Amino acid sequence: MIPREFDYEAPTSLQETLQLIASGERKLLAGGMSLIPMMKLRLATPDSLVDLGRVPGLNHIVESSGTLQIGATATHHDIETFPLIRGRCPLLAEAASHIGDVQVRNRGTIGGSIAHADPAADYPAALLALEAQIRLVSASSDRIVPAVEFFLDAFTTALEPGEIVVEVLVPAEPGAEGYSYEKAPHPASGFAIVGVAARIQRSGGKISLARIGVTGLGARAFRAMEAERLLESGSSLDQAVATVGEGEDANSDLYASAEYRKHLARVRAKRALEVALRRAS
Amino acid sequence: MATTTVKPETLVGKKVRRREDPRLITGTATYLDDIKLPGMYHACVVRSPYGAARIKSVNIKPALELPGVAAIFTGDDVKDLPSVPCVAQLPGLRMPHHHMLAQDRVYFVGHPIAVVVARDRYLAADAADAVEVEYEELPAVADPEKALAPGSPAVHPQWPDNTAFTFHQEGGHIEEAFREADVIVKQRITSQRLIPMAMETRGVVADWHAAEKSLTLYSSSQAPHLLRSLLAGIFGIPENRLRVVAPEVGGGFGSKIDIYAEDMLMTFVTQRLNKPVKWVESRRENFLGTIHGRGHVDYYELAAKRDGTMLGLKLKIIQDLGAYLQLLTPAIPTLSVLMMPGLYKFKHISADVIGAFTNCFPTDAYRGAGRPEATHGIERMVDILAAELKMDPAELRLKNFPAPEEFPFPTATGLAYDSGNYALPLKTALAEVEYDKLREEQKQGRQTGKLLGIGMSAYGEICAFGPSPATPTGGWESATVKIEPSGKVTILTGASPHGQGEETTFAQIAADELGVNIDDIVVYHGDTQLVQYGIGTFGSRGTAIGGAALYYALQELKEKIKKFGATLLEANQVSLSGGACIDEKSGKSVSFAEIAAAAYRALKLPPNTQPGLVATHFWEPPNFTFPFGAHVVITEVDRETGEIAIRRYVAVDDCGKIINPLLVAGQVHGGVAQGLGQALWEQAVYDDNGQLLTGELTDYAVPRAHMMPWIEASHTVTPSPVNPLGVKGVGEAGTIGCSPAVVNSVVDALSHLGVRHLDMPLTPEKIWRIVQAGGQA
Amino acid sequence: MKISGEYLLPVSRDDAYTILQDPAMLARAIPGCETLEKIADNEYHMKMKMVLASMSGLFDGKVRIADPNPVSQFRLIVDGAGKIGFMKGDGLLTLTPADGGTNVHYDGSVEVGGTIAGVGQRLLDTTAKMLIKRFFTKLNTEVAGSAASSGKG
Repeated sequence: MIPREFDYEAPTSLQETLQLIASGERKLLAGGMSLIPMMKLRLATPDSLVDLGRVPGLNHIVESSGTLQIGATATHHDIETFPLIRGRCPLLAEAASHIGDVQVRNRGTIGGSIAHADPAADYPAALLALEAQIRLVSASSDRIVPAVEFFLDAFTTALEPGEIVVEVLVPAEPGAEGYSYEKAPHPASGFAIVGVAARIQRSGGKISLARIGVTGLGARAFRAMEAERLLESGSSLDQAVATVGEGEDANSDLYASAEYRKHLARVRAKRALEVALRRAS
Repeated sequence: MATTTVKPETLVGKKVRRREDPRLITGTATYLDDIKLPGMYHACVVRSPYGAARIKSVNIKPALELPGVAAIFTGDDVKDLPSVPCVAQLPGLRMPHHHMLAQDRVYFVGHPIAVVVARDRYLAADAADAVEVEYEELPAVADPEKALAPGSPAVHPQWPDNTAFTFHQEGGHIEEAFREADVIVKQRITSQRLIPMAMETRGVVADWHAAEKSLTLYSSSQAPHLLRSLLAGIFGIPENRLRVVAPEVGGGFGSKIDIYAEDMLMTFVTQRLNKPVKWVESRRENFLGTIHGRGHVDYYELAAKRDGTMLGLKLKIIQDLGAYLQLLTPAIPTLSVLMMPGLYKFKHISADVIGAFTNCFPTDAYRGAGRPEATHGIERMVDILAAELKMDPAELRLKNFPAPEEFPFPTATGLAYDSGNYALPLKTALAEVEYDKLREEQKQGRQTGKLLGIGMSAYGEICAFGPSPATPTGGWESATVKIEPSGKVTILTGASPHGQGEETTFAQIAADELGVNIDDIVVYHGDTQLVQYGIGTFGSRGTAIGGAALYYALQELKEKIKKFGATLLEANQVSLSGGACIDEKSGKSVSFAEIAAAAYRALKLPPNTQPGLVATHFWEPPNFTFPFGAHVVITEVDRETGEIAIRRYVAVDDCGKIINPLLVAGQVHGGVAQGLGQALWEQAVYDDNGQLLTGELTDYAVPRAHMMPWIEASHTVTPSPVNPLGVKGVGEAGTIGCSPAVVNSVVDALSHLGVRHLDMPLTPEKIWRIVQAGGQA
Repeated sequence: MKISGEYLLPVSRDDAYTILQDPAMLARAIPGCETLEKIADNEYHMKMKMVLASMSGLFDGKVRIADPNPVSQFRLIVDGAGKIGFMKGDGLLTLTPADGGTNVHYDGSVEVGGTIAGVGQRLLDTTAKMLIKRFFTKLNTEVAGSAASSGKG
């Protein structure tokens, strides 16, 4: 790679990192799976990079009172394979397993991915369906934002200048829940043409909880709340999925038109829900 | 001392592991970018962002002032130098002068405008960014059919019809065939533009030795001798002072046969600066500045009898040439014409090729080069005819093949197919998938809306280019075999393998012929200072011609070895086997190693024999070879999403005798991967302004390992009579056999909806829309 | 690439027509616009910095207003070029009175070239929509701001 010249700093504590980025001028480097290709093409020409790779205590995966705490620099591979996540939040592990390829999953991090907020990234669908929360820290603040308030637009999040994602908080799965992540990947980039994450809880033969996160369709991932509501009030799967993406301004590109994407979102939503229903005991 | 060991068994036909692999898989091979010379400069090329534009000004001043910048050259500096070469010749061919740097206009996105030379690559890239170019955008045309339409923007202002050439070929009496026909089927079939995408991009290191007036040029090339000859002519450097080295080459697929503007530019720069200079292509540049492949719009008409007898075939090819003619650009569609009858007994053919200039990068030979287009076309047409006649597509094929006893089989295009048993691979593949059972399953499935497709292709290809009269650069190949005084064997091949594995297969051949251990044999290639003149590796010619040249060199050498053996044994006649010369009469023998030592010690020479054990053979083949085979593909189409799943992929290839089954399997797998790429995923998309919209691997879908089906590959063996090894070539077979089998399979899955044809790539949305529309495209 | 859409500006059609051609207003609303200088009637020289995720690029170009048909329609033509590529936009803006203000309908095409065209296909549509949305959102804020300040005055 032949990028433009840039300064490089590798702080060794979170405190130091926050001081460095306080001004908002420096660009953070986590796994680099989105940033580095852009720098290679000289489309991104940051003056200064702050590498999170040597900051300790940022890649933890622990459970504490029913919540999984996942450090920002945990890699997709960690999330795909850690027994704790596979056991307590299998939907997130499944979504992680769909990201890029093995090399990308080995380097890429959950914090980097969600801070980048690519409209076709896999995590947002899962995090929305999981009603996850994201902890953001700056030199002067420490706050927790629900995923639904974090992803604002394409490449736009609730992060303020000087703030950094330190942790993703996911409620641990109660055990009887069904889940699935269904994705139609672009054959070249591996990004989602659409990706649908679904969670289902049943009680007494009825759907007591439905959560559906959709990525790739619009400028940002979203929850298909109308479909969730319909499922929870006893409507059929077909009725519910017919509302997925309604009113959404769907993306279109060389590979897939807006019309096809919207159709695909509904087909994938149905398939995700079918699997989730099967898995929900 | 003589240390040659005797080998225990024959190796030809055995799964010998590639001797190249240890250095490749341990990352210790020397590729172009690994070459670092003292004092070496680095070059970066400034390229046009426009498909067509007038260059109003180029301001290099701000760039020249940057630290570490040694020089910047622009179009003006090279305006008197010859064109980037095209060696293909066709009557009336319009050949634009392809300057290595743009003059007053740019003709495609990526057109080189200036070359910046600096102390390191980073500085060179920074300075390239600082070169200020002012453009006036001009109307462009990127679609070959639009280019030929009246009123289209002219790619080259001097040729407003955008026509580089027209070419006509006829065999038999085509109108008669169409008069006699009961049915005529017609179809427009495209073979989209593809980008070869070798794992290693191109690169050049040029090193001018001013005092010796000699040049060493390292280039990631498939044909180093050709590069040397052409560069020598362009720059007036005598060939004996010009050394071209192709280091480890990470794939070419045809794209590295060409001589490129950058090969010439680096030669120019090193001569001007008296310093070595390196340029390595970025992946982005590889999309924009290395040849593309395919780019056909074909119009087919097939005339047949009601019983399925194929009579005549008409074809009009519109070839998207791009803005310039690279090494073989205009010749590629003429290969499609040669192979247009496929494996069928057409007596009458007629073909017209129109070469269209477009504001795109030139097309040229990409794995298969003209034959995948032809095979795709004829194999689609046969299926369309079968549908029209309501005949089984396998039965229709079998009906029209020449029988094994009809070989050499003369085609209406003037070829003589060397040997073949065309029915065998098809029957084998169909038996393998249990064809009749599948048809039944398909019928049942359709009741419940299941879309199962059974597709086949019976392909033939023309390989081993080729007899010299048919090849613009000479079609022979060369080999030198040297037995060193210690008895070790050195082979120099004029073919320049770049991943094919000839270091292994050629050693197998020599080991068997000489009866020595394979570990005592080393095969060298790719350095014009080391190796006698050769043609190179392309068109599945490496083993069929280079291997044959080696075989004959070995025979010459064996005769000489036997003379020395006879002298040492004081016998009239000896035989050579098991690594020794044996006097049948006395039963005495002398080892290969002892003979080698004696040949160089030269104390006792056989009559009329000089010392040493070296033989060089240049071999001119009497004909091409014609491999063939059948691929059968079973697909399942998801009617809700249009996605295609390949349930089975069965390839039965006949490439003549097999030297090494492992390498043949590798070639089939790789070829199928690239065929699948064309059938399902890949396409170079230019917009109307000549912008390449699929300009990186994020949008251009090269097949990945996880997208590949399991390939069930097997073989039939019909030796070629053309060369003494009986081999035909297999480098392109997979690519050629694949795409029609896949498309035929998907069309078959949708045939009950009335679908007769689909153009590649078969993207899910395309399929979904057709299913939605009930089969109406 | 074809683009079209609609936004509501909370002002009268006469005001909307004026605002949409007011260089000072455009300079504030065009995402990343750094300078906008008049070079002829209805023609401006513009410098803008496009920022999208980690990507950024400086563009130098022109904004032109053509075929004005007060107060219902005009064409806005934007073109710019920079190191990372070039872009051209040509849109017809149609203003119709609506509940709560004026409906601005745009219909046009965007062409891009150079590196951004060659490597950014996946995101061009999303990006174009986002930039237009930002433009109108900013315009709304500006309109609201100026309405508020004029109310005070």
